[in-house]
Amino acid sequence: MKLPKTLLVGTGMLLLVGCSKTDNTELYQEIKSVDKMVFATMAITKTAKMESSGWYTVGKRIAVYSYDSYMRAYIDLSALQMDDLVFDETNKTVKVTLPPVITEITGRDMEMRKEYENIGMLRQDLDSKERAEIKEQANKSFKEEVEENPMFKEQLTEAAKRKARKYFEAIFESNGYTPSIDFKS
Amino acid sequence: MTKKIKNIIILAAIATCAIVLFFWLGAPKKNTEISKGQIKDVKTLAQLCTVDLYNEVPVLDTINNKVLFAVQKQRGSVSFDLENMQVNTDGDTVKIVLSPEIVEINEATEDNSWQVIDSKNLSFNPLASDKLTDKEENQIKAKIKANSKKILYHNGTIERARAEGVKNLQTLMTKVYRKPVVVTDPTPKGAHYDENK
Repeated sequence: MKLPKTLLVGTGMLLLVGCSKTDNTELYQEIKSVDKMVFATMAITKTAKMESSGWYTVGKRIAVYSYDSYMRAYIDLSALQMDDLVFDETNKTVKVTLPPVITEITGRDMEMRKEYENIGMLRQDLDSKERAEIKEQANKSFKEEVEENPMFKEQLTEAAKRKARKYFEAIFESNGYTPSIDFKS
Repeated sequence: MTKKIKNIIILAAIATCAIVLFFWLGAPKKNTEISKGQIKDVKTLAQLCTVDLYNEVPVLDTINNKVLFAVQKQRGSVSFDLENMQVNTDGDTVKIVLSPEIVEINEATEDNSWQVIDSKNLSFNPLASDKLTDKEENQIKAKIKANSKKILYHNGTIERARAEGVKNLQTLMTKVYRKPVVVTDPTPKGAHYDENK
């Protein structure tokens, strides 16, 4: 009865040692067809400092990490109707009313940048769980900030509107029309 | 005899209090300070995004004899650069060639989007650390990103995104140019299909 047990342990060890390939077959996947015209993106850096100390600890344990999160501003092209473009053939003008600019968070860097670290000789290195915890806290703060501080969305929306105007102006002008471009609210 | 039992109970109570105090005061306190978000850059562009995706992937990888197991949530998109697209408006029909796809995959910002379950050391040295350095972790994450991209080419997502790109571009440009528009796709399976085989 000893042989199957040894075989089992051995196979298990081999499997563990052999898993040098990244295994990331999806647990869940959602693919959505969209019709978005993206005109601006924004990268926002968050920096987090973690320090741990206790009455008996000897030496410092400080780590500072940073990473970027991303937002984008777009118009939903599926909301663009035929009557949103009004052509005047006599004056060669076109009045364009684009759908409203929408902003959204598109994710964050997978990697974290180590900005600073001071781990004393008698202190333990940070582990992956601790780094994940730091990122989680920074992410929570980022989402709150985006909700509470309109500056991010406003700046991004303004940049997107400028670019959208420029883009459509260039197209219509090359087609012989003078455009006036506006956005629905 | 009763006195002896009494003394033992008192000693046990003191010992329990000491242990509780040790753990209560003894655990190193972690203090995390998060800076305010700093805008690094704002880029303007003109891209047509036809697919948004959300993935949850288990991550099991080995680096320098250390195994990491985690679960990651990802957000991504497939887009096309509209400014560098070949557009020919001469003649009765507008001819457009769909540009190479831009595939973006990031870590999501939902709660616990990077959840580390465990790490272990595979070496025979019992004193070897099972902790991955930030560099090792970043190397694993770079591999996850590349793998997730490959999957999009293999499971037909890129093909679908390009087909949507042709359709959506045709609809938009027909409204804009008010003439027939023909959008052609020179690489229906993806401009970077061969690199992601």
